[in-house]
Amino acid sequence: MGKVKIKRKSTLIDMTAMSDVTVLLLTFFMLTSTFLTKEPVTVVTPSSVQEEKVPMSNLATVLVSPQGQVFLAVTGEADPDAAMKNKEELNLTDEEAKELKGKWASEPIRMEILENALKSYNSKFPEGDKRRVALTQEQKNKFVKLGSFGVPIKDLPRFLDLSDTDKDQLFAKFYKMTPEEQAAYNNDPNNIHVGIPIDGNRDVTDPRKRNDFQIWMQALIQTSNPMLTSAVKKGDALAVKADRGTPYSTMHPVLDNLQSLKLTRMKLMTALKER
Amino acid sequence: MAQIEQSDNKGKKKKGAQKKMAIHVDFTPMVDMNMLLITFFMLCTTMIKSQTLKIALPTNEKAETVEQAQTAGESDAITLLLDTERNEKTGEAVKDVVYYYFGAPKFDPATGKPLPNQLTQQVFATDSSTVKDGKKIAIARGIREVLTKRNNEVLKSIDSLKTLWREGKLAADKEENKRIYDEKAKAIRVQKDKKPPIVIIKATPNASWESVISALDEMNITEISKYQIDNIAHADSVLMGLAPATPMASAAK
Repeated sequence: MGKVKIKRKSTLIDMTAMSDVTVLLLTFFMLTSTFLTKEPVTVVTPSSVQEEKVPMSNLATVLVSPQGQVFLAVTGEADPDAAMKNKEELNLTDEEAKELKGKWASEPIRMEILENALKSYNSKFPEGDKRRVALTQEQKNKFVKLGSFGVPIKDLPRFLDLSDTDKDQLFAKFYKMTPEEQAAYNNDPNNIHVGIPIDGNRDVTDPRKRNDFQIWMQALIQTSNPMLTSAVKKGDALAVKADRGTPYSTMHPVLDNLQSLKLTRMKLMTALKER
Repeated sequence: MAQIEQSDNKGKKKKGAQKKMAIHVDFTPMVDMNMLLITFFMLCTTMIKSQTLKIALPTNEKAETVEQAQTAGESDAITLLLDTERNEKTGEAVKDVVYYYFGAPKFDPATGKPLPNQLTQQVFATDSSTVKDGKKIAIARGIREVLTKRNNEVLKSIDSLKTLWREGKLAADKEENKRIYDEKAKAIRVQKDKKPPIVIIKATPNASWESVISALDEMNITEISKYQIDNIAHADSVLMGLAPATPMASAAK
């Protein structure tokens, strides 16, 4: 008896079509998406019916954590030819505009803000005082790479010397603590304080009395990009981001500081909802 | 599809011709890699861009002039007091509440206690909708209903202006149309004969950021252009029962 042979079919599945689809999907995601920016603390913004979008460039975001720590993130001009395009408004000659090419991008503008802030901070103390802060070029280069920052100027050298993972760890650890532990942590001068100090001083006329937050905001206004300055003053380049549950008592000092600096117009970050 | 079949010359084999093999490319690893990339992009990116709400706060120095404006138009004033119920243990926001009163709060001069029935409690609520004559109509609820009623005349004018704008009757050019609409709407919002109210938003220390945003949002929805964020006064705390009534409270206001 001959055995009945069952013809075996090949189990190969043609993957070409599948590959086509995945490549299409990939292209879609690559083109439509913007990357999530890393933030030291996650906040859920409240919702509003406003449809105005957040600008992508020339924006300073003040992030307020639910416990009240303040972080600052600055993005510069996305277009390197911004000076050239607006040279008539800014009264620049061709050569001046050419020289400014790319100078207003995120990293150079952050460097400028850092220099401004350090100068203003150090002027608070007499020559040779221990409290003066000097950063090495390497530390400065590290600073401009940071998306957002939130430590006092006095702790900047120590903070910048940390590796990237340690920086993340610092914030991650801090936000796992209870509010009491957080307060104890921030009160210990040996620790790197979390959050830009915003307390005290409503009188900003005396530069020596300004708190760190006021120093940063002043440094932001005094950059070489006049468009950024006017946008911040008009409120187009200043955004406040906070969690929906944050009590008003936490938000009030931040708004109050901005008011003292005469930065009374601003954008509040919200998510979209139905009316 | 991934095979490239080569015909073998009608079955005849030429002498010396090379043996031809079917070329088959396996795309499975390619698909694997693509899937990984897609997963990466899906996890690392955001599609939703945040919206923003523009506000202008009064400067600290102008505090006195604001006070003057407040007393001048007391009959037009609505004060919104924002508060949030919180979970006692975790401090998590549970529910936003908004109280409102018209004009200035009144107190019994002898005891300093607030007169009854001044403060009304409301909530932030979204519109409910009904269908009337085949059209969907939004009905304002909660605090929005109160503000809509108070700002009725302005809203009516703006609504008719809005229909003109939607139909593109203000100007032929789309941008020009929008510009004229914005300009006219701005003028309507402050027209004195339409009695626009002045809203004073005061948040208690406990009030959530969301309630502040909601209140500002209501101003935009109900087309109220005159509003301000102010610090809570002692009189307001007494009114809400958060501070003890003293004869001082009435003297302060």
